Amino acid sequence: MVKRPRKLISSKQTTKSIKEGEIKRDKDVLSVDLDKNIEHIQALYTNASDVISRSFYIAGKQKAVLFYIDGLVDIQELNDNVLGPLMEEDSFDYSDVKELLEKKITVSGIKEITNISDCVKKISSGNPVILLEGSRSGLVLNHVKFEKRSIEEPAAENVVRGPREGFVEAIGINWTMLRRRIKSPKLKRKEMDIGKYSETEVILAYLEGVADENLIKEAENRLKRIDIDGVLDSGIIEELIEDYPYSPFPQILTTERPDVATSHLLEGRFVILVDGSPFVLIAPVTVYSFLQASEDYYNRFIISTLIRWLRYIFLLISLLLPSIYVAVITFHAEMVPTPLLIGMAASREAIPFPALIEALLMEITFEALREAGLRLPKQVGSAVSIVGALVIGEAAVMAGIVSAPMVIVVALTGIASFTIPRYSGAVAIRMLRFPMILLAGTLGLLGIMLGLITIIIHLATIRSFGVPYLSPMAPLQGSETKDILVRAPWWKLNTRPRLTGKYNKYRQAPGQKPGPKHGGE
Amino acid sequence: METGKISASQLGCMMYPVVIATGIVIIPSITAKYAGQDMWLSPILASLMGILVIVVAIKLHKLYPGQTIMEYSVSIIGKVPGKLLGFIYLYFYLLMNAGGTRIYADFVTGAFFSETPLFVILATIMLVSSFAVRGGIEVVGRSAEMVVPVYALVLTILCLLLIPDLNPKNILPIMPDGLMPSIKGAYTPQSWFAEFFVIAFLLPYVKDVQKAGKWGMISWIFVVMGFMATNLSLLFLFGGELTDRFNYPLLDAVRYISIAEFLQHLESLVMAIWVAGTFIKLAVVHYALVIGTAQWLNLSNYKPLVFPLGFLTVLVSIWGISSEMEAANYSGTIFPSFSIVMQTCIPLILLGIGILRKRNNSG
Repeated sequence: MVKRPRKLISSKQTTKSIKEGEIKRDKDVLSVDLDKNIEHIQALYTNASDVISRSFYIAGKQKAVLFYIDGLVDIQELNDNVLGPLMEEDSFDYSDVKELLEKKITVSGIKEITNISDCVKKISSGNPVILLEGSRSGLVLNHVKFEKRSIEEPAAENVVRGPREGFVEAIGINWTMLRRRIKSPKLKRKEMDIGKYSETEVILAYLEGVADENLIKEAENRLKRIDIDGVLDSGIIEELIEDYPYSPFPQILTTERPDVATSHLLEGRFVILVDGSPFVLIAPVTVYSFLQASEDYYNRFIISTLIRWLRYIFLLISLLLPSIYVAVITFHAEMVPTPLLIGMAASREAIPFPALIEALLMEITFEALREAGLRLPKQVGSAVSIVGALVIGEAAVMAGIVSAPMVIVVALTGIASFTIPRYSGAVAIRMLRFPMILLAGTLGLLGIMLGLITIIIHLATIRSFGVPYLSPMAPLQGSETKDILVRAPWWKLNTRPRLTGKYNKYRQAPGQKPGPKHGGE
Repeated sequence: METGKISASQLGCMMYPVVIATGIVIIPSITAKYAGQDMWLSPILASLMGILVIVVAIKLHKLYPGQTIMEYSVSIIGKVPGKLLGFIYLYFYLLMNAGGTRIYADFVTGAFFSETPLFVILATIMLVSSFAVRGGIEVVGRSAEMVVPVYALVLTILCLLLIPDLNPKNILPIMPDGLMPSIKGAYTPQSWFAEFFVIAFLLPYVKDVQKAGKWGMISWIFVVMGFMATNLSLLFLFGGELTDRFNYPLLDAVRYISIAEFLQHLESLVMAIWVAGTFIKLAVVHYALVIGTAQWLNLSNYKPLVFPLGFLTVLVSIWGISSEMEAANYSGTIFPSFSIVMQTCIPLILLGIGILRKRNNSG
């Protein structure tokens, strides 16, 4: 009660101070006096010896200074194309920045700036900045160069067929990967810096005329709302812009694959690229997006359809198999055919635990093994798999702590959960398995049904950026089920999925079904 | 009050389990009691009631678009009588839902969980339905759209799996005592078909309301087919006289399924889909009750009512119906009479007065 007003006052103060800061920054235009500018910038970079200022004379006459960060700049280029030509003696008058820019510097990426805050921002992101005596504007050179990971095949999304390059940490490279795939000028981007200290570059990319304008506006607003001190990965952005933060289900898709991002752009979704993260965010998505792999669209459609159904079935297995096993053992033994039941009963005879405890025990152990396998140093990898396979599988059964059918159930469930192509979706299902086991242990099949219904209600409730999570199945949009129930052949996928409001309906010309009579003759 | 909208097809999906879910459990044995081997005819006769109430509800909605029965009953017969009638309707739907919950719970405890307290079974399904109702009509509609196709599919598969055991000769002789037994047998099912009148509470929230009639009819056709299929399967399997000895004949029928010595004992599957169907039924009727109560009390938000009314429904289903015998009596005789008054006669009278009023106003 007492704390509340205090909080209000303090928050008011901070907004006030932020505003003051902004005003100050506006006043921060570069002055004509070069020394003053240098002093100003150097004051900001005290105790930051990586920022280097190099004074020199242009053509031996005019004083200038070059700011850059050691290690973030292509020194070779800077020497050859900037300092070299500038310091050559000749008869031009260089007090005019424009003339200097047009006639002297042999660099294509160059820009004029007029205030100190921009200068600081550019210097910090690695661009060398040149300031001149007697000029109110400086020059930013695009000579950023830093060590980055080369483009590799994405580790978490493997394909047999399809492009093999994956996003990297550098946002510039990620953007070029999108641009290489969509050459149309309709590919637009909105940039912003998020993070008070990290000032991370974030790009909202969309396809103009295909993505709904209101959707883009909404996404932009949600991004602008974020006030945080640092953005380390796109996961942080994801948590701050999603619709239902308490839901176990991800409402934003993450991918490492530029082809996936592109295909979603083409379907009218937007993509958020975050500097420093190889995972881009895609929204709005539906629950089915988490069950689709990029390869579905590159393989033959009949096979893709079958594989999709395999995934749906294994999704259910991953969610339900242990709980069904527990329910059957505990409550509905009559469901099992007699010979099988006898076998199961025989193997369970020596087990001291009820099926519920046994299932929880094994599932938790499996999750622990998976987690350990993920985190462990590569050198000890084999140790864990030996311990996992031998001790937990073989020895536990031999010792009569768990029954052999339970080991099979857990193993099958584990495999099933890995058939879900998107990790974030698979995790949600894996987590929901535990309440389902508890329900099955208390109310049997009834409990499983009640749990399933609750999950369906929850899925029917949530939306991703205004798009119902279960659409196009509920609400049903008949023509769009062609990409859910089956993977229709490309010559049938003539319409885009309808996301929100106005949309660009047709993605290709109709009647492209190939055949011996089409095309030739 | 309700910002969400459903589509007419969702309405159709929602109505299907309202009639089928509890009906299919107990109707066959009640029908068989009166109609004997003509039990397959009764649903057809009873289904006429379904058409009647759908037409009446849609006509009434056309006269007073955007209003539920709680609102237009006031416009038709005046403030005090309208509110009074509204209260009776709320009472009726509370009883109906309580009865439905009770039928479900008796089925589950009787056939599977004989040691689980009745209250637990009642409360859990009501809780889940209340979750859906709290999410609004959109959530109820979408859940129905996800659940109902699977429900209908499993029901069809169960009927198909029974085929090896069927003996079509059981249908003979057709109508040995004339039409009267099947009309008598239709008396109870008609009240289930009359439950289509719940759409009077839902029509204002249908986006493409001009298609509501069509989807109501599609839903009706599927319900008739569902009843026909189960009644015929049971008749072919047990014959007319045996069917009425069972409390839940369909459950006993499913015990007969045995394909390749492996696919057998599917009773638990029956229960699983029963839970799903009943959930939709309870959610839809509970939604009607909640939104009706909120309108009756002129509230601006119906959500605070969801759980209290759910609790009340559970209480009524325990206190109002003290034993399984009473439950059978309730659904066999009391409810059908109540339903004829509430879901057929009064709406017809309302429609008559409504039409006269509109004519007088315009003329």
